[in-house]
Amino acid sequence: MTTYIIRRLFLMIPTLLGITLMVFAISRAAPGDPVGLSQGMGGMMDAQRAADVRAARNRLYGLDKPVYIQYATWLGRVARLDFGDSIKHHRPVIDLIKERLPITLILNLISFVIIYAVSIPMGILSAVGRKKFLDKASSVMLLMLWSLPSMWVGQMLIGYLCGPPYNLFPPAGLSSNDAEQYPFFQWLADRLMHLVLPVFCLTYAGFAYLTKLVRAGMLDNLRADYVRTARAKGLSNWSVIFHHAFRNSVIPVITIMATLLPAMFGGSVIIERIFSVSGMGLLAFESVTTRDYNVVMGVATIAGFLNLIGLLLADISYAIADPRISFESTE
Amino acid sequence: MIEEVTLLNIKGLSVDFFTENGIAHAVQDVSFSVKKGQTFALVGESGCGKSVTALSVMRLIPDPPGKIAAGEINFENRNLLSISEQRMRSVRGNRIAMIFQEPMTSLNPVYTVGEQIVETIRLHQKKSEPEAWEIAAEMLRKVGISEPGQRVTEYPHQMSGGMRQRVMIAMAISCKPQLLIADEPTTALDVTIQAQILDLLDSLQQQSKMSILLITHNLGIVAERAQDVAVMYASRIAELSNSKSLFENPLHPYTQGLLKSLPQLGFTGERLYTIPGIVPEPLHFPSGCKFHPRCYLGCNDKRCQTIEPQLREVALGRQVACWYAPGYERPDDPKL
Amino acid sequence: MSDNKKHKDWGTSYGEMVWHEFAKSKFTLLWLGFIVVLFVVAVFAPFFANDKPFFIKIDGHLRWPLFGALTASDYSIFLAAFITLIQLLLILRNKRKVDPSIRSGVLWRQIFVSISIIIIGTILFFIFIPKRLDATDYKSMIENGKATNALFAPVPYGYGRTDLKVREQAPNRQHWLGTDDVGSDVLCRVIHGSRISLSVGFVAVGISSIIGIIIGAILGYSGGKTDFVGMRLVEIMMAVPVFFLIITIVAFFPRSLFNIMLIIGLTTWTEDARFVRAEFLKLRRQDFVQAAISLGLPLRSILFRHMLPNAIAPVLVNATFGIAGAIFIEAALSFLGFGVAPPAPSWGQILSLGVSTTGRFLWWLTLFPGLAIFFTVLAYNIVGESLRDAIDPRLREAR
Repeated sequence: MTTYIIRRLFLMIPTLLGITLMVFAISRAAPGDPVGLSQGMGGMMDAQRAADVRAARNRLYGLDKPVYIQYATWLGRVARLDFGDSIKHHRPVIDLIKERLPITLILNLISFVIIYAVSIPMGILSAVGRKKFLDKASSVMLLMLWSLPSMWVGQMLIGYLCGPPYNLFPPAGLSSNDAEQYPFFQWLADRLMHLVLPVFCLTYAGFAYLTKLVRAGMLDNLRADYVRTARAKGLSNWSVIFHHAFRNSVIPVITIMATLLPAMFGGSVIIERIFSVSGMGLLAFESVTTRDYNVVMGVATIAGFLNLIGLLLADISYAIADPRISFESTE
Repeated sequence: MIEEVTLLNIKGLSVDFFTENGIAHAVQDVSFSVKKGQTFALVGESGCGKSVTALSVMRLIPDPPGKIAAGEINFENRNLLSISEQRMRSVRGNRIAMIFQEPMTSLNPVYTVGEQIVETIRLHQKKSEPEAWEIAAEMLRKVGISEPGQRVTEYPHQMSGGMRQRVMIAMAISCKPQLLIADEPTTALDVTIQAQILDLLDSLQQQSKMSILLITHNLGIVAERAQDVAVMYASRIAELSNSKSLFENPLHPYTQGLLKSLPQLGFTGERLYTIPGIVPEPLHFPSGCKFHPRCYLGCNDKRCQTIEPQLREVALGRQVACWYAPGYERPDDPKL
Repeated sequence: MSDNKKHKDWGTSYGEMVWHEFAKSKFTLLWLGFIVVLFVVAVFAPFFANDKPFFIKIDGHLRWPLFGALTASDYSIFLAAFITLIQLLLILRNKRKVDPSIRSGVLWRQIFVSISIIIIGTILFFIFIPKRLDATDYKSMIENGKATNALFAPVPYGYGRTDLKVREQAPNRQHWLGTDDVGSDVLCRVIHGSRISLSVGFVAVGISSIIGIIIGAILGYSGGKTDFVGMRLVEIMMAVPVFFLIITIVAFFPRSLFNIMLIIGLTTWTEDARFVRAEFLKLRRQDFVQAAISLGLPLRSILFRHMLPNAIAPVLVNATFGIAGAIFIEAALSFLGFGVAPPAPSWGQILSLGVSTTGRFLWWLTLFPGLAIFFTVLAYNIVGESLRDAIDPRLREAR
């Protein structure tokens, strides 16, 4: 088991390098120079700004040196988490990221927990209690949930619930302007109210997907031979469903984390933009809009790293859940 | 004097399956008894209803789409079909145990072998964890697995097919059941392993006086191991008899055909004998005697074509359901 | 030799079986119909919504402004749609007239010819059809009496036409779905937006499928070291959150429709690669492949004629879901302002105007494009799901 983890960690290294290489390659492959690109924004950059951008890029990449040296330099700086300074904010990129990242992480973590906490029981229940008509109907319902574009949902929610005549939820940010002065419970309530809509937008799609997965897995496993054996041993229905069928269904559910995490990260960009939440997603959006290249590259690299960590955790959980894995060298 | 006590008595068991295309009568009016300490073999081809019969004893028929339509299953002075589910659960794995055909998939892949045996033990007996694990290791030793202490912590996928089946047996006997139902226990195994497993079952039976209900399509293993045999065809019992008489003098044309199909030592002909025709589907059973379309005796007999013969005793310990069986005809039978 | 006699010997092909299973559900067919309708709307968009009339009589002369203003890309799209239709009809004809043993070869050749015609035609169109910008305001000509007898398209607005006098109007008699922030008719933009969504969907998925198949086939077939190294590369692609990667690339590269298609295609191929690789790993061990290898068949033949048809099923299913995904990504990009630039009509772009600069909630700019995206994505998801169900049990039976 430990050998498996060490092996996975080892394999992470080339992937890490690959991520940095990819980000680097994108920045080098970009046609034209930064100034010319910025003009595609539909506005002219002023000369000072253009000079700033060009100077920043040169500094960061040492554009006069050969490519592999540039990459090595870049890599060295990444290792020290030095992504240069933000052109717009005139602060180190890494500081910006450090500020914004926790918010995104918390948002995603909460959503993640909610998705799993709701989907698993729903999936199990829908698999165990089956009526023919409900099958097809729920399948379609879940597909519909899955197809709803998050920006549409977000904007509709803001439009209908946040303004008059309902005024149910605050439309933006994570806390009201004077929240600092609230007593604790009011502050907590204020926070929660702000969280409801963004978290909802982040969760409904993952919930639809995961419920379907749990349900399908349960249906398969409930028909398995070992379930028949378990029943033949005299185990109660409850025991059979949870200890046996579900325990096997957990495996694909964990593997799904590998696809869920990057999807949620991506979703953050949209949700944070709509709800004006100052997280890393919004930072990514702003930096792309303003062509703040250092920030863009920093965010992309950090997002890649985080994702990788998430994948590693998913892999380890998978190995814990399925004893068959640790003993075989897969792939 | 050998005590012949009846352990399991099945009377008039009928099981139906409700499918999209109609009701399939998988088992119809099946009756037989299993005596204590003895092996009863239920023989037949795929689809004849023998597995369904076995599952019915454990009340493991999936409902829907299956339903036990009629009959009694008497075990230890109780009709298993009428007791509550809760009480039935205390019977399963405890008084009656079952092993299945596919050892590969019948064990849960995510738990160790020991955990699965301990689960059974702790369910039915008041043992502590360490005690249960000791018993589990002991059971593995009993079924002939070497280094049981080590094996008990292993996962099913680390074992071969034969070993897994032994584990299944260990799990089944862990609570000292009175009856072991073995549903095609050796079909999925290599021939050499088959013999080992059957020998194991034999020796376990001798040690604990456990009865065995052996379900199989292989007549070869029945001859040496079972005292009584019932041959099933298309949801009914065609012939029921003690093993010796069945092989020496089969009464039902189906049994005769089965025995004829077995390759014999010294056979010098060109082709093996096969019973002409195919096994009918439960949704499309023939009228009258279900075997008549394939029967050399009754395929043109109007009575065989229209009236189904019931199982009758024609000699001591021998029952058969065939109009042509010697001693079968009774005075008030319809004649055509 | 009569035709009927030939046909009795031909069993049902794999495709026929899948279609048969697929078509059992009326619900699914309904959504497939929706997709077809969407296609028609997208292809013939200029005929549904256009500010130039079909014909108009000016000074006694009959003119045809709408047809004159059709661009090269319009003609390419018409050609592509036409050829596709012909190809589908040919496939149906193949089922009836062509011997199964040569059918796939015939099919490949037909597809090759079709694609060639489309590409050549497109190139020719772009070379020879001049870019005419007709800015004549035909409507005011009618009003002024300068012209008579005009027939306009059902939605008589052009998607680029701005009219600041009517900006941000809620749905009314003149503009059935309202207007956006520069006065363009929303219904018209939604209609034309279908072109962008569908073309992004197909081209992006086409690119990602091809890349995925090639990589998956090579990795799955080679096994061993190549597979090991290759999988690490695939893992790298999978490790980066796709959306972040896309917007990173968008930050550095100029915005254009083709770039977006390319970017989406280049970043979403990993699923296909994994499926194909898994299938190929399995197939590699099967007897018929071993036989082909031992017969000395060329690698190209083994991969494409023998192994690929077996592995294609999950790719098709994934492609359908991929189209839904690509449409969604394009809408998201346009919503964030990273997609095609206005005046190009993208559903996501219209959606982004839903909350005005003054904070007003302009519900018609949110609801209608949102519904368009939702229904389109839903349609592809439902069709993809049914396709998967149709293919899966059939595969299970075969095994």
